[in-house]
Amino acid sequence: MSSVNLQEFSIPASACLEAMARNRVDHVVTVPDWVQLALHQKIEAGVPGVRLVPCCSENQVITVAAGLTLGGKRPLLMMQNQGLYNCMNTLRAVCLDAQVPLVFMVGQFGREYSNLGKPSTDSRRTMVRILEPLLKVINVPFLSLDSEKNLYRMDEAFALAHAQRTAVVLVVSAPMAWR
Amino acid sequence: MMNINQACAVVAKLRPKDSLLVATMGAMFAFDRIELEAASGDASLRPPGRISSVPLMGGAAGLGLGLALAMPERAVVVVDGDASLMLELGGLVTVATARPEHFLHIVIRNGTQFSGLGNLVTVQPKLSFAGMAKEAGYVHTEVIDSAETWALRFPQILNNSGPTFVELNVEQLPLRTAPGFELPEMPDLQFSRMSQELAALQNWLGTRS
Repeated sequence: MSSVNLQEFSIPASACLEAMARNRVDHVVTVPDWVQLALHQKIEAGVPGVRLVPCCSENQVITVAAGLTLGGKRPLLMMQNQGLYNCMNTLRAVCLDAQVPLVFMVGQFGREYSNLGKPSTDSRRTMVRILEPLLKVINVPFLSLDSEKNLYRMDEAFALAHAQRTAVVLVVSAPMAWR
Repeated sequence: MMNINQACAVVAKLRPKDSLLVATMGAMFAFDRIELEAASGDASLRPPGRISSVPLMGGAAGLGLGLALAMPERAVVVVDGDASLMLELGGLVTVATARPEHFLHIVIRNGTQFSGLGNLVTVQPKLSFAGMAKEAGYVHTEVIDSAETWALRFPQILNNSGPTFVELNVEQLPLRTAPGFELPEMPDLQFSRMSQELAALQNWLGTRS
């Protein structure tokens, strides 16, 4: 058993909604993620001004969000690490080649609680360990959401995505809190 | 049965001027030819509002759906390929769930991949795309075989309260390869045009940040 205090790393879903509102997010496009389940439930229950667009694959998440962006909207993409691995070519086409700015929230599904607070590259699980090195290799900026106090990084992510016309990934480290 | 130029010419000629058009590879080249010919060879006179999902098989419907949700007052026409649609078949469910009203999804069904170069058989020889779209929840679906019927039906179909799906049965392109044939190098444009077209679309729409 891990002696890690999970509460220290869990971001309250309500705080995340506040960050989304601050960043004028008007659509959430997603294949749901276990790590962000608390937030998914709140969005599915209804958030004023935010339309939920569920998709059947992460490739569709990216293309739908790109279409929304072309049409002047501010989508937030939500998926888990293995979902991001699933849509690498679409990410390449839409964000790297076509330069559509998109902000992703990607949950580190499978991360051992004992790895929280440590480099994810130290994880014993491939699923977790390869995420950040992979993003570095494809030159996609990423920022860690390790706790509630890191939520200002969502603002940075939107600013960076639009300034550099690229994807920016917010890596969600621990399961979100139901509050 | 119609050919791909006839199928795309109907869309190019009859789509509303403020509509948005998303096309995949085979249709993209057909629209290039049709629009350039209509503009007497002057590429700068091509109509606005068209983007290509390239090189990105399977991406057209998603791009179109996002545009349709962002701009529900505009007609969005997606011209997909059969092999491309097979890559993201679940996209039919995604579209039907979102229920964009002015959304027309066309699949060019020629049963081949690398048309004219390899004519490899796609993996869906007996499936009904229109049937699957109907099961997924598209409001209107139909199958059209002739260019005459397609030209007649297109304006009517555009007035549907959708999403609408049309399966166009289209002839295979004649095979150009033979012993001694050499594939030409892919031009840079193939990898830069999506970026250029998306930027041009945003400038036209006034949505570029």
